[in-house]
Amino acid sequence: MTQYVGQAMPRYGGIGQVTGTTKYVDDIVLPGMLYAKCLRSPVHKGIVRKLDLSAAEAVPGVVGTLTAADIPGQNLYGFSGDQPVLNNEHLRYKGEPIAAVVAVDEDTCMEALEKVKLEIEEQEPVFDMLEAIKPGAPIVRPGTTHNLLEFFPGVTTRILKLGDVEQGFAEADYVFEDRFVHNVQDHAPIEPHVSVAYWDAADQLVIHTVSQMPYFHLRYLQPIFNLPLSRIRYVGGVIGGAFGAKNDIHADHIAGLAALKFRKPVKYRWTKREDLSYSTKRGAWVFEYKTGIKKDGRITARHIKQWHDTGAYGALSVYAVEKCGMFAAGAYHIPNILVESQIIFTNKPIASSMRGFGVINGQTCVEVHMNKIAEAIGMDPWELRFINAWRDGDQGVTRYTVQGAGGLEAMKKLAELTGVQLPDHLMAMSSRRR
Amino acid sequence: MREVLYYAPTELTEATAILADHRDKAAVLAGGTDLLPKLNYYEVKPHALLYIGRLGLSSIHNGSSALTIGATTTTADLATHHLVQQYAPALAQAARLSGSVAIQNAATIGGNIANASPAADLVVALLALDASVRLLSHSGQRDVHLADFFLGPHLTILQPDELITQIHVPLSPGKTEFLKLGRRKGQTLAVVSVAVRLQLDGDLCHDARIVLGSMAPTPLRCRTAEHLLRGQKITTDLIHQAATQAIAESSPITDQRATAWYRKKAGEALVQRALLQALDKKEVRP
Amino acid sequence: MKQQVLTFILNGEEVAVLVTPTETLLDVLRERLQITGPKRGCDDGECGACTVLLDGEPVRSCLTLALTVEGRTVTTVEGLMVKGELDRLQKAFYERGAFQCGFCTPGMLMVAKSLLAKNPNPSRDEIRSYMAGNLCRCGSYEEIIEAIQAVAAGEY
Ligand SMILES: Cc1cc2nc3c(=O)[nH]c(=O)nc-3n(C[C@H](O)[C@H](O)[C@H](O)COP(=O)(O)OP(=O)(O)OC[C@H]3O[C@@H](n4cnc5c(N)ncnc54)[C@H](O)[C@@H]3O)c2cc1C
Ligand code: FES
Ligand code: FES
Repeated sequence: MTQYVGQAMPRYGGIGQVTGTTKYVDDIVLPGMLYAKCLRSPVHKGIVRKLDLSAAEAVPGVVGTLTAADIPGQNLYGFSGDQPVLNNEHLRYKGEPIAAVVAVDEDTCMEALEKVKLEIEEQEPVFDMLEAIKPGAPIVRPGTTHNLLEFFPGVTTRILKLGDVEQGFAEADYVFEDRFVHNVQDHAPIEPHVSVAYWDAADQLVIHTVSQMPYFHLRYLQPIFNLPLSRIRYVGGVIGGAFGAKNDIHADHIAGLAALKFRKPVKYRWTKREDLSYSTKRGAWVFEYKTGIKKDGRITARHIKQWHDTGAYGALSVYAVEKCGMFAAGAYHIPNILVESQIIFTNKPIASSMRGFGVINGQTCVEVHMNKIAEAIGMDPWELRFINAWRDGDQGVTRYTVQGAGGLEAMKKLAELTGVQLPDHLMAMSSRRR
Repeated sequence: MREVLYYAPTELTEATAILADHRDKAAVLAGGTDLLPKLNYYEVKPHALLYIGRLGLSSIHNGSSALTIGATTTTADLATHHLVQQYAPALAQAARLSGSVAIQNAATIGGNIANASPAADLVVALLALDASVRLLSHSGQRDVHLADFFLGPHLTILQPDELITQIHVPLSPGKTEFLKLGRRKGQTLAVVSVAVRLQLDGDLCHDARIVLGSMAPTPLRCRTAEHLLRGQKITTDLIHQAATQAIAESSPITDQRATAWYRKKAGEALVQRALLQALDKKEVRP
Repeated sequence: MKQQVLTFILNGEEVAVLVTPTETLLDVLRERLQITGPKRGCDDGECGACTVLLDGEPVRSCLTLALTVEGRTVTTVEGLMVKGELDRLQKAFYERGAFQCGFCTPGMLMVAKSLLAKNPNPSRDEIRSYMAGNLCRCGSYEEIIEAIQAVAAGEY
């Protein structure tokens, strides 16, 4: 084993990648394979008043269509369990799947989609999360009275707390505040979302997936298909990039339902334009930071508020926001921390996971905030960080005890690599002791 | 399924006859770099495709008063051809900066013109060079100044039965420059682009061209700014004035690539830089 | 749609295949000939994953209408190996980890192949500018440049 440490090893399976023989999901072509395409919501918000697929079904080459009525199990899935597979009622974002057509090829699917008779009563959408929490804002989820996600029944603000921030601010010599806004971001892997599903000889539904978390996804798929888990064979492992985009199901449910209904192999793939416009995103974020600090640079309190725009459905936003909250105060010894988090529904595409699960959103804020504080109190930003950096035994906001801290050592290495001369009293500091 | 016919004629008369037959139901296909994305995404649904890559229109000739460039000459050829480098260096530069290698190998000059994007790089350079296009239909041919060709974004005076067959670039003297600012260096459409040509008479400016891309519904000749320079001694001050005037003539929009505000700021700097750099360039002599 | 016979040279061998007029070269390679090395990233000309050599020059197979390659020569990543031996670029990409997911690799290799054919000893800037049309979302650009430089330097 040890002979590999410190060595650059050829990529496992990499010969396939350089010879073009690695089979990605879209490389699978099966005899008699059909193709699916989704009818997507043309509006950001509205109610489906009429959905007539008969003209689409009459197009030569169309094998049939899928609607909510074709789902053997439940028409809900996702980490938050709130996403319809096919939605023919209250549409919540532009691009939301309403129905699907299945045909001999994609050209035919597209021709059929144009023939669908769809009537929608358009409603006023809301896009800005801070507008969405004002009284009188359009309501994203029908049957509710507000746009806030409930972490627990009745709990719309998630609070993480260590010590007492009010007392911490009272002890401070200065208090600084900052506000940060992060925009929506797409993962943009080069491989778009795709799935191939078919029945095998053992009467199992086989799905070739690009999933990044197949065991979670199996759990979402099983209740949709209403098949025992033993009859779903979920085949994954080869992915053309994901970056968190493939932590959500985008294609497997549709391909699976079509294979289930038509008993033929079915490929469902998104175009890159669909992917960029309608797939899950890293959601928008607003942060407010407030920090109390002593003249000598010791931080006494930090109060953080984060508002996260999850778009039309919850997906993995809870996960991202909680993880963000856990680390948003930074890798610093702060005796008094309060983190308040809210997740807000809007009529935007669904926000979910993306590289770092929200942690980097908080980290970019906290480090910019630290630089601004250093400038304001006239202290070198290295020094401010060295003074406050985690030492072994410090506590994080959720009361975890820091062990094996390495921030100081990493910063020393960084200084060395970037040619920064740190003063002796900083070089003498260690993560092992305060 | 919808029937689409495909033609790949080798004779011009054949090609124009096909266009005449199909009127506006046929799509001309050259390099396909503008048309294929639309076909792939079902944004256009032609009844017939007329491939013009086998008409022998890929050539660059040097006449007594103009370069004649065949409509299906690729951007890659423009970037490297010695005649273009010698007589139309701004066009060679625009070609080099447009798309990427794989795009340049397919993209054609005729396609860049016919597509009529406000960002079309080759068009910006060609306008500064006073180019004209030859249009051929079943019923005849006409030559049109490129400056009179564009009507709006993706709108031109080209009739559905007409083909662009040639581009004429007059061999006129002057110092030229083409500059482009994009979101990144490689394979990117212009946030703003500029082509200039200065015809000098000692230290007096005899004539000038200033053309902006992505700053108006069509690539734009800034005639008032050009007029400011004409007959004047070129100074840094005058160059600044001309740049300010050029931007005053533009009407950029805010889109996914940049805001109108940014385009104006960056555009002004780019025009200044282009004029200054042109002064240092070797003079093109026909 | 009515199908037509398309004949061209694919990786050294003449092939004849039935295609419809709106199919792209990428469609035909992947879906009719099971040549799945070239990848469909965007179908829009932007990503470069579908890049193949047409008469030796890189083009986007997603923007090339299949029927226009009649009689011409197409090389894909599948055609890079000679007599069962990896091409030097394939070796260098493999050994130097010039990819993570590998989805961009078939396109990258074809453009790199054409670069070295024209310019056996490109500078770093020349490599960057020649390869600019091919996106690697995994961010293997450094390793890609190094792999090409290593081949140019005769290390493979
Ligand atoms: C990834 C990418 C990057 C790009 N980058 C740039 C860039 O940096 N700068 C830039 O300017 N452009 C860029 N383009 C756009 C495009 O490559 C150019 O506009 C190109 O010159 C179009 O030529 P073509 O031969 O490919 O046109 P085609 O797609 O074949 O045709 C374009 C249009 O013109 C018509 N047409 C073509 N030739 C004729 C003719 N002779 N007579 C009449 N009608 C004709 C066609 O019917 C069609 O409507 C880019 C495109 C892509 C996909
Ligand atoms: S698939 Fe052809 S460039 Fe992306
Ligand atoms: S290796 Fe994943 S896109 Fe390049």
